Amino acid sequence: MNYSETLIDHFRNPRNAGMMRDPDGVGEDTFDGCGDLARFYLRVVDGRVDDVRFQTYGCGPTIAASSAGSELAAGRAVSDLLSLSEQDVIAAVGGLPDERLHAAQIVAGAIRAAARDFLSRRSAPSGMKQHV
Amino acid sequence: MNRRVYLDHNASTQVHPEVVAAMLPYFGERFGNASSVHSFGREAREGLEIAREQIADFLRVGKEEVAFTSGGTESDNLAIKGVAGTRGAGHIITSEIEHHAVLRTCQFLESQGFAVTYLPVDSDGLVVPDAVRSAIRPDTILITIMHANSEVGTIQPAEAIGRIARERGIPFHVDAVQTFGKIPIDLEAFGIDLLSFSSHKIYGPKGVAGLYIRKGIKMVSVQHGGEHERRRRAGTENVSGIVGFGKAVEIRSREMDTEAVRLTALRNRFWDGVRARVPEVRLNGHPTRRLPGTLNMCFRHVESESIVLGLDLKGVGVSAGSACTSGNVEPSYVLVAMGVPLDWAMGSVRATLGRENTDEDIDYVLAVLPPLVERIRKLSPAAVS
Repeated sequence: MNYSETLIDHFRNPRNAGMMRDPDGVGEDTFDGCGDLARFYLRVVDGRVDDVRFQTYGCGPTIAASSAGSELAAGRAVSDLLSLSEQDVIAAVGGLPDERLHAAQIVAGAIRAAARDFLSRRSAPSGMKQHV
Repeated sequence: MNRRVYLDHNASTQVHPEVVAAMLPYFGERFGNASSVHSFGREAREGLEIAREQIADFLRVGKEEVAFTSGGTESDNLAIKGVAGTRGAGHIITSEIEHHAVLRTCQFLESQGFAVTYLPVDSDGLVVPDAVRSAIRPDTILITIMHANSEVGTIQPAEAIGRIARERGIPFHVDAVQTFGKIPIDLEAFGIDLLSFSSHKIYGPKGVAGLYIRKGIKMVSVQHGGEHERRRRAGTENVSGIVGFGKAVEIRSREMDTEAVRLTALRNRFWDGVRARVPEVRLNGHPTRRLPGTLNMCFRHVESESIVLGLDLKGVGVSAGSACTSGNVEPSYVLVAMGVPLDWAMGSVRATLGRENTDEDIDYVLAVLPPLVERIRKLSPAAVS
């Protein structure tokens, strides 16, 4: 299967890989068809993503899409991430073959879930950790 | 530039230079149709019949018992549908881990009213001969069990199964695409009536294969047309391919035994090296009763396609046990049938060695594979949590 140079670069040198202790928001998404899983952690300062980390189980494209997705999330307003689309991730990873579109789907889904988690924590009653 | 190491010989092999040389005249001055009566046709016919003799000698059977086809899939279809067609109805015994060429042919016959028993295998991938005996019904018309599985390489007890088939007078078909030319096949001792075998797994060209049909076995043809191959397989023979196939078999007849010993040692060294360097890895298939060059491993918490891609980027060609089609990854049905747990089965990688592989190739793979697995595992939430 032919993959873009961008995808291969992200697969070889994933950016922002790893887990994060005490994140401000965490979200994950899975693809039932193949069991691929992406989990994103966000550290938020003044409503913007100050740090992002991901963990991924999946094929090469899913690992690469996670890395590319983390770069999309870094520095963005969390509220913007709620509308992050599969197409955004596909573009960031330099395109995906049709059979691997699930990679972008779960990465976008996991980032949106992490953003929602952060926003729901912020709006939650006192007692929860706040970073904004 | 990375070193390039091909470890996918169960998928296909590089055509042997002597095979290429033998084929070339049949693209040139010996281009004729083997059915033509003139000298051009006779020259093609001569090449065709020499190849048939080379293969018949190798199998120690009569020339008239060897029919050429376009591939292992066609040979399996011809054997199974050919026997089924003479009966019109009945029961077939096969196993759960057959190649799709057998499984889907059997499923098709089920749709036509035949009954099929798909026998399970044990954790090493072996069919239990007693299970074959128990599955036989009064209307059983065929037993079709592969000689060795392409994914894990487990070699089936063909002799014991053949003995049961012969006792009961039931035709016994063996898909030997992965064993022909790699390990000995004694058709008489194994009691085999039909044997599928292929060219491109043993350094011959693609698009040509054969079916051994024991004299006296009743068959109908599946492909209709001219009277080629003693009316068993219509269609102009792929003369250049068949000539190459014959040459490939001739070469295997002199190299097979020493190559089997060499590849078994190389494969074992590979596995010893992997398990010494990589934690949470398991071997799939029978520990010893296995194709010489086949090594199937599962790496826990890693999806096999990420290893295949990572090794590909290092110039190493292996295959994934799980295949992703339209985003739907199924673990290998062979590993599932063997009872391999899902979280292991998703990380299966098959390396299959061949005649051009060297100790240096294995050293190189042993240098690049462990850090790759470690790197991918570090990304995985399952491995961390």
